[in-house]
Amino acid sequence: MLVESKVFGEIEVDDAKIVTFEDGIIGFPDLKNFAIIYDEDKKDSKISWLQSMDEGDFALPVMNPTVIEANYDPYVEDELLKPLGELNAGNLCVLVVVKVPSDIKKMSINLKAPIVINVDNRKGIQVIVEDDYPVRKEIYGMLKEAKEKAQEGK
Amino acid sequence: MLALTRKKGEALVLNNNIEVTVLEVKGDQVKIGIQAPKDVSIYRKEIYLQIQKENEEAMNNAGIEELKNLF
Repeated sequence: MLVESKVFGEIEVDDAKIVTFEDGIIGFPDLKNFAIIYDEDKKDSKISWLQSMDEGDFALPVMNPTVIEANYDPYVEDELLKPLGELNAGNLCVLVVVKVPSDIKKMSINLKAPIVINVDNRKGIQVIVEDDYPVRKEIYGMLKEAKEKAQEGK
Repeated sequence: MLALTRKKGEALVLNNNIEVTVLEVKGDQVKIGIQAPKDVSIYRKEIYLQIQKENEEAMNNAGIEELKNLF
């Protein structure tokens, strides 16, 4: 599948690597096909991209929430995840949306609405969890600290 | 929009498998009970809209170039 991405230019993604969101992303029910893109130039980056294959302008930065919140463990009704098929520790991938406003110090992740993907069958869903997780958790400070630590270690 | 008048304790049935009951009416507050299959997602609209807005704003990535240089 070929798409003209706003962030990456023209990209082609193997159909076998496309993740299907049957219900779309919250607020965007028509966007059903996505690719997860890692920036090759930034291998250390914590951020990857959920690029819509239906709409090139739609690319969401996402990251693994446990980088910031080691004990992130929201409660999601099993039935809600049923469309994803059987999930286990090996095929479960949880990502959260990263927001990067022009004031980068205010960048945040959305722990209230994680994206859950079964990597075996590449089906995904975005859910809103009942737990008291914030919609905007600011992460600039933590990322900066982590990077500084990593550099000291080198 | 279909508008129906219901009293406390009365219900609506949607699509054979969803039941919406008015549990309590107190001033301008209404407590609603919903019985639905568990795979039906039910969200408070203001939270749903907030998530939708977050997704939209995340898509704009105003500071992404700066971010690329940092992390």
